[in-house]
Amino acid sequence: MTAIETSGLTKTYGDLVAVDDLNLSVEKGEVFGFLGPNGAGKSTTINMLLDLTRPSAGSATVLGYDAQTEADAISPRVGVLPEGFDIYPRLSGRRHVEFAIETKDADNDPDAIIERVGLSADDADRPAGDYSKGMCQRLATGMALVGDPDLLIMDEPSSGLDPHGIREMQDLVRAEAERGTTVFFSSHILQHVEAVCDRVGVLNDGELVAVDTIEGLREDIGGGATMELTLVEAAAGLRETAASIAGITDVVASDHALECTVTDPAAKADLVIALDDAGATIEDVRIDDVSLETLFTALTNGDESEAATETETASATASESGVAR
Amino acid sequence: MSGHIGTVARKEFEDAGRSKLLWSLIGLLVGLVTVGYVAIWYTADDVTAAEVLSFVGTPLQVILPIAALIAGYMAVVGERRSGSIKLLLGLPPNRTDVVFGKLLGRTAVVTAAVALACLVSLVLSAVLFGSVPFVDWLGFAAVSALFGAAFAGLAVGTSAAVSTRGKSMAIVVGIYMILIALWELITAGPYHLIYGEGPPVEAETWYLLLEQFNPIFAYTNLISQIVEGSVFPFQFQYGLQSAGAYGMTPAERYPGDAPFYLQDEFGVVVLLCWLVVPVAIGYYRFNRTDL
Repeated sequence: MTAIETSGLTKTYGDLVAVDDLNLSVEKGEVFGFLGPNGAGKSTTINMLLDLTRPSAGSATVLGYDAQTEADAISPRVGVLPEGFDIYPRLSGRRHVEFAIETKDADNDPDAIIERVGLSADDADRPAGDYSKGMCQRLATGMALVGDPDLLIMDEPSSGLDPHGIREMQDLVRAEAERGTTVFFSSHILQHVEAVCDRVGVLNDGELVAVDTIEGLREDIGGGATMELTLVEAAAGLRETAASIAGITDVVASDHALECTVTDPAAKADLVIALDDAGATIEDVRIDDVSLETLFTALTNGDESEAATETETASATASESGVAR
Repeated sequence: MSGHIGTVARKEFEDAGRSKLLWSLIGLLVGLVTVGYVAIWYTADDVTAAEVLSFVGTPLQVILPIAALIAGYMAVVGERRSGSIKLLLGLPPNRTDVVFGKLLGRTAVVTAAVALACLVSLVLSAVLFGSVPFVDWLGFAAVSALFGAAFAGLAVGTSAAVSTRGKSMAIVVGIYMILIALWELITAGPYHLIYGEGPPVEAETWYLLLEQFNPIFAYTNLISQIVEGSVFPFQFQYGLQSAGAYGMTPAERYPGDAPFYLQDEFGVVVLLCWLVVPVAIGYYRFNRTDL
């Protein structure tokens, strides 16, 4: 059964098409990453799933209920972490969680929820108006977890969190997924998605440009890795040795460096062994995996008419991002 | 409706109860009543406790609407602008719960303020004047609470109908100004244009009905019925009406027996209209908008 299904979902604001004929299906129990740059239409889509925004055309179901006509059946079964939300500054953090418990008719312990999202008991007693952005994010996450929802919808859950908080968020998503909760979350930052998602959908300019597993996307885009080896010997003499290994498609030698394009991950070890057997001394090895970022840039910036050169664009940006690092 | 109105209203009441602005408004109401009682007790010798209530009604007709409008004009739109409405609607409460929960919560806050001010008047009446006109007092409190609720309804309805704080404020301030400062221009002005003269005491029925629908008039007319002495509506006067007409209720101005809708008691219906109609419009618009 599907947790979220949209068919022809469209939202226009005057001439602007925010979401264009979106057909998306998220299976129960999966962790689905909804990716796209800012302004791609992710939040508009999520707002339509939550009946905050009404579609111009098409429809959506959440947990089998129509998002517009049966919204009241959806909300008790779903935990929502909205984007661009605010807390009630005068009410304490604990009161927020208690309010969520009251409305969901749940039997959660507010203190357990507060602890789970990493807020202290002292924090919970303070008015939420004193909270930092990250603490608000934690509080809202706690409210979303109330009532053990079947589906978690999180819009940019990592915003306002520091790297530590983001890891905690990812752990939380994994823990919820293990419990069988479907998690649908959006992000414009890929590393946050890469680590936890079973599948991703990439949205650009309101259109879904790809839906696949992360591995699948990598393969699609011709994603191999680049391996750069620094040798004590002159590299030119070892170029042939490197090029002869299966799974290595391209080798460029310059001074003491060999730059190899690897299509089969297992070829990396073969390459090192082969070079060693050939008597080379390897000083350093650097591997640039084709990051999701690269895929993303290729998918969202790549003009459709240039689909054929997409692979090149991807590897070009791959080396760029490698340099940037 | 999914039955979360009460939960939302309780949260609202709790949230508003922590608002400094609201407490200063309550302080203002209570202070006003206190000052009124003490001043009358100090200056006048032959005033009975029952008559003092009418003195309290005069400032209340101006202050209470302001307090209720301030308490309500941000109710829905404020959450819309800050984004807390997304947190709220992400939980089971739906838009219906939000509008009516807010209405209930804010009305409760205004009613609590009125109740507090009335309790103070009760105590002062007993302490300073030695007696409590209990029936008068109860009627006075009930009508004042309804008056406050009418303006809370107007404000919450407006806050649900518009998309920005500025618009909400402009509308409630505009309506308040029309009711208190521009009323005669807007009603007696056209009358003058149609009939070539300003409204006399015995004006046309439609004009008297229009007068009847000013909630401030409705309040003062009702209070005048309840307490000893009259409470006159506080109004900017432009001299468009015949001089004798000022301060008279539509029922008094109507030649012969006034129909039910011109009776002073009809003011209750008028106040209920000011509560219900803006909320209905606001609810209709809020239900159809994208947040």
